[in-house]
Amino acid sequence: MKKLLSLVLAMMMVLSLAACGGGNNNAPAGNDAPAKTDTPAKTDAPDDAPAASDLEPVTLSVWFHGSTVAPEASARVMESVNAYLKDKINVTLEPIWGTWADFDTATVTALAGGDNVDIYFTCNWSANEYNKYARDGYWVKLDDLLPTYGADLLTTIPESIWECARTNGYDGAGVYGVPALKDTATQNCWDLNGTLLAELGYDVDEFVAFASMNPDFYYSDEFEEVLQKAKDYKGGDFYPLMGEPVVFERIVTGTAIVTGDLNGAPVLSYYYDLEHPAKDIGSRIVCKYATPEFKKFAERTYYLAQKGFISPQTQNVDTANSYRESCALTGDYLISSQSYAFGCEVDYSRQRGGLDVRMIPTDAPYMDATSGQGAMMAISAVSKNPERALMFLNLLNTDPELMTMLNYGTEGYVYNKNADGSITFVEEVRSTYNPWRNGMGNIRMLPPTAEEGLDYWDRFSAYYDSAEVLPYGSFILDTSELSNEATALANVYGQYGFQLMGGATNPDTVLPEFLAKLEEAGIQKLLDAANEQLAASLS
Amino acid sequence: MTGKKKTLRLNSVSRGAETVIYIILGLFSLCCIIPFVFVIIIAFSSEASIRQIGYSFIPLEWSTEAYQYAFQKLPQIWRSYFNSIFITVVGTALSTLMCALYSYVLYRPDFKFRGFFNFFSFFTMIFGGGLVPTYIICSQVLGLNENYAALIVPLLVNPFNIIIMRTFFQSSVPLELIEAATIDGSGEYSTLFRIVAPIAKPGIATVALLNALVFWNDWYLSLLYIKRNKVLQPLQALLMELQNNVEYLNRMAGQMGAAAVSEAAKMPSQSLRMVLVVLIVVPIACAYPFFQRYIVAGLSVGSVKG
Amino acid sequence: MARKNTTSEKLPAPMRYKFSKYKKTLVLLTMAAPTAIWLLLLRYLPMGGIVLAFKDYKINPRNPSFISNLLNSKWMGLDNFKFLFMTDDAKIMFRNTLAYNIIFIILGIVIPVAFAIMLNEVTRKFVAKTYQTLMFFPYFLSWVVVSYFLNAFIDGQYGMITAMQRAAGGDVTNWYTTLGPWPYIIVFANLWKNVGYTTVLYLSAITGIDSTQYEAASIDGASKWQQIWYVTIPNLRTMICILFIMNVGKIFNADFGLFYSVPMNSGALYPVTQVIDTYVYRALKVTGDISMSAAAGLLQNVLGFICILTANTIVKKIDSDSSMF
Repeated sequence: MKKLLSLVLAMMMVLSLAACGGGNNNAPAGNDAPAKTDTPAKTDAPDDAPAASDLEPVTLSVWFHGSTVAPEASARVMESVNAYLKDKINVTLEPIWGTWADFDTATVTALAGGDNVDIYFTCNWSANEYNKYARDGYWVKLDDLLPTYGADLLTTIPESIWECARTNGYDGAGVYGVPALKDTATQNCWDLNGTLLAELGYDVDEFVAFASMNPDFYYSDEFEEVLQKAKDYKGGDFYPLMGEPVVFERIVTGTAIVTGDLNGAPVLSYYYDLEHPAKDIGSRIVCKYATPEFKKFAERTYYLAQKGFISPQTQNVDTANSYRESCALTGDYLISSQSYAFGCEVDYSRQRGGLDVRMIPTDAPYMDATSGQGAMMAISAVSKNPERALMFLNLLNTDPELMTMLNYGTEGYVYNKNADGSITFVEEVRSTYNPWRNGMGNIRMLPPTAEEGLDYWDRFSAYYDSAEVLPYGSFILDTSELSNEATALANVYGQYGFQLMGGATNPDTVLPEFLAKLEEAGIQKLLDAANEQLAASLS
Repeated sequence: MTGKKKTLRLNSVSRGAETVIYIILGLFSLCCIIPFVFVIIIAFSSEASIRQIGYSFIPLEWSTEAYQYAFQKLPQIWRSYFNSIFITVVGTALSTLMCALYSYVLYRPDFKFRGFFNFFSFFTMIFGGGLVPTYIICSQVLGLNENYAALIVPLLVNPFNIIIMRTFFQSSVPLELIEAATIDGSGEYSTLFRIVAPIAKPGIATVALLNALVFWNDWYLSLLYIKRNKVLQPLQALLMELQNNVEYLNRMAGQMGAAAVSEAAKMPSQSLRMVLVVLIVVPIACAYPFFQRYIVAGLSVGSVKG
Repeated sequence: MARKNTTSEKLPAPMRYKFSKYKKTLVLLTMAAPTAIWLLLLRYLPMGGIVLAFKDYKINPRNPSFISNLLNSKWMGLDNFKFLFMTDDAKIMFRNTLAYNIIFIILGIVIPVAFAIMLNEVTRKFVAKTYQTLMFFPYFLSWVVVSYFLNAFIDGQYGMITAMQRAAGGDVTNWYTTLGPWPYIIVFANLWKNVGYTTVLYLSAITGIDSTQYEAASIDGASKWQQIWYVTIPNLRTMICILFIMNVGKIFNADFGLFYSVPMNSGALYPVTQVIDTYVYRALKVTGDISMSAAAGLLQNVLGFICILTANTIVKKIDSDSSMF
């Protein structure tokens, strides 16, 4: 009896306290509802940014992602940032320098717990899922606020990117986050170690020409031959073929990520025309592993692994990335896979001690929701000042001075300006103030570094703006009604997928088993839902 | 003293049996220490060696670079060291005191609400509200946010330790002693601190040790509650952040493409992570004999109440 | 204290008795208070969140506080639990979790008790202390570090065992896709990590044994082995039973790092490494649904609770002094 009583008592305590808590939090939210409709009316000229002095001073908490920022460096940079922001929009910025690590736990907990954070980084590729959270009501819908508080944003960010940011949220289809104008396209490449290839006696340019846009490259005898030559040349411990199995599979089979596919456990594929990604080839969403293309790929990969071309290290999720990174740095590879980022061959060549790094495209750059939603900033539903938060995002994405200060730190402290307008980092300090550049927003306004060259951002923009949009446009799959299937499929994928794509297991025996398990876990239901949604989105 | 020696000789196992014991325990102890030696070796391996042959007992090249890096480039290390020590000392003292008080009450059969409080703590060992509700109570109701309290308070009570402590009291402190003390007019607090505590020293030291380990090893509280004021991060949190960054980028590599590789390249080297492991283990290992003095004090029968 | 005693002495005898009894309860209550308040605030209060397991948690945009969100979310009945039983994998993960835990519980009693007794017999104190200190080291190393260590031996490229196999000209084993050795590796790793910790508990229990019991036994002519059997082990009985009961309560929970990090999250090993906690982790990485994780946790707790009550009842029948409540 006592036990029961204590339990009941505890529950009551919970609820009563809950009521208090609810009441407290209620107040700001209540105030904020009329504010939303009132403020635009008050400021008669919505296109003009209101003068900073007219605005109430507010503090905005912003949660960034992937940062390496030391407390004292942050304090020093924030001094300048806040002085600047005070003049502009009377805002004090309180940054939370989230690291890669805390995203899946701390951020998710903070979000669910209704932490006092105004703006969160969000995207479509980690546990911090923009679309899911938009559906569940975590983000403020921006459509009505944007014309008033984000007018510059609307014109700066191209329509195609806004299109990617549109999602079916709790309040209907709309924009729930501000997309970053960064590397907004996807292009798959072979990453070739030209130095080693030349040592093997090949004409590098000729080889690149042969491999470029060649869908049969992976299956060609030349491919196997060059790997064998490299292996013979460098000795038994050398593994010439080094790739991230998941990227690898996409390169070889020529498939795109379906946005909204299971997080970290891809089971769906979308085939597109490699040369003209925008061309409609009547493609539907299919199960990645049930296609003949995949079977061919898995068999070939297993064969190559058996011949000793693929390191066992890359066949394991836990060791793969560190291994690839260290082999790349020492140039201990011949051919690797890369999801291209503009200018990465220059960076890689420098990182790898002047290695002749060649990027061989396997398709033309394309755009879909996955690339468009790579990095976003969303305003939390608990924010007491959503309008001011949007004004901040507006400024961040349109004001080069603010973007540079937040992203690169302050001049004279983190970097120095060169005579030609480019900048050079003070390496010592940069290592303590290094937010994830691409995660912050419109990085095309940043000054080029001396290494990048003065026309870097022009070339950058030209490249990304040339990308074609895939026929399914900014399609986003919604699996929220199928969460049971999703959990089962994720575990089945974990058991087979990665190692199959890495050539660690024999597809002859494993693939049928894998497919049967996918079937049991409900892949068909997911496929039906996906294609139904796709048809609806296209019509 | 002479009496003790005599007991010792009387109670010893045979030479042969003792040798077997030495060997079995010795082998196991060796198994326990080798991985740590391994960690030390990696911490002194050069990064080039790790790149070429992976983690190995015999690196191609030795180096103290990672240590130099840790102490020169990471000013936070010293502060984190202080944080860890502060949290552990305060946390261990408080939690052990609270545990002893509560367990003593549970140990008293004449306490009216013994059954209730016994169940009250036991029940929480099995059931909890889960991460998010606990987080909300801590951060929003109790204000455990961006302060040392956030790193100490959520770990103060462990029902497991309460049960252990109660068991120690039950098995080592005879109830007659309490009765005698009460008759002598000793108050409850003085009975606990003057009479029970000295007898239950091994038990209290054990629980204190377990508590100290929990506070020293914890990083999760820092992850949850220390976000804006990162100077408060304890050492273990610093290490886990590096570790988890790498793990996260590994997992995301398939989706992030080029970014995952170039971001991973920015991460501190692998030997640096091992340096942190060494820095974390050494102080607590040094503190261990302090607790051990009480735990093993009575080793070899007869010395406790000889 | 003394003053209070004198006031109570002034009272007539029966009342004095009553008063002092009342006072004693009050004083003992003040002792329990700090922990009790802590438990109430940090354990009982959040328990309201158990409701999450039966809800489809969504933000209430009009009033986005946790409670209002919780109240406004849709009831799901038992739907949040379904994902645990969806496929045949469910059988595997429940089987693995239970089987490993049963082995861990048995070996986790036998070996630490044996080690504690052995340590107690080591006559050179310095050696005993050294052994005991060394045994505690694994407790400091996280499973991730342990996985690096293991990897140094069995890695397919750099591993020492692999190198030996290569040198001997034999076939190289791909350890991360070979099921056979893993149950042993996992059991050993678990013991390796926890034995030192548990041994300390038993050792301090031995230390607390009243030495007169041994003296009496040796006067009666009991040999060393008889002393262990008739004095030491009966005295450890309570501690053994308590630890047993508590471990039984965790029989549906697995040490995540042991089953996830140590096998390097290798898919081919799932048949022997998939446990409830790893399944839930992988599942929720996809859905990010806190309701589902609450459901999984609740199920583990309820099952654990049933087990713990059963174990306690059994222990109570055998030896009423050693039961937990």
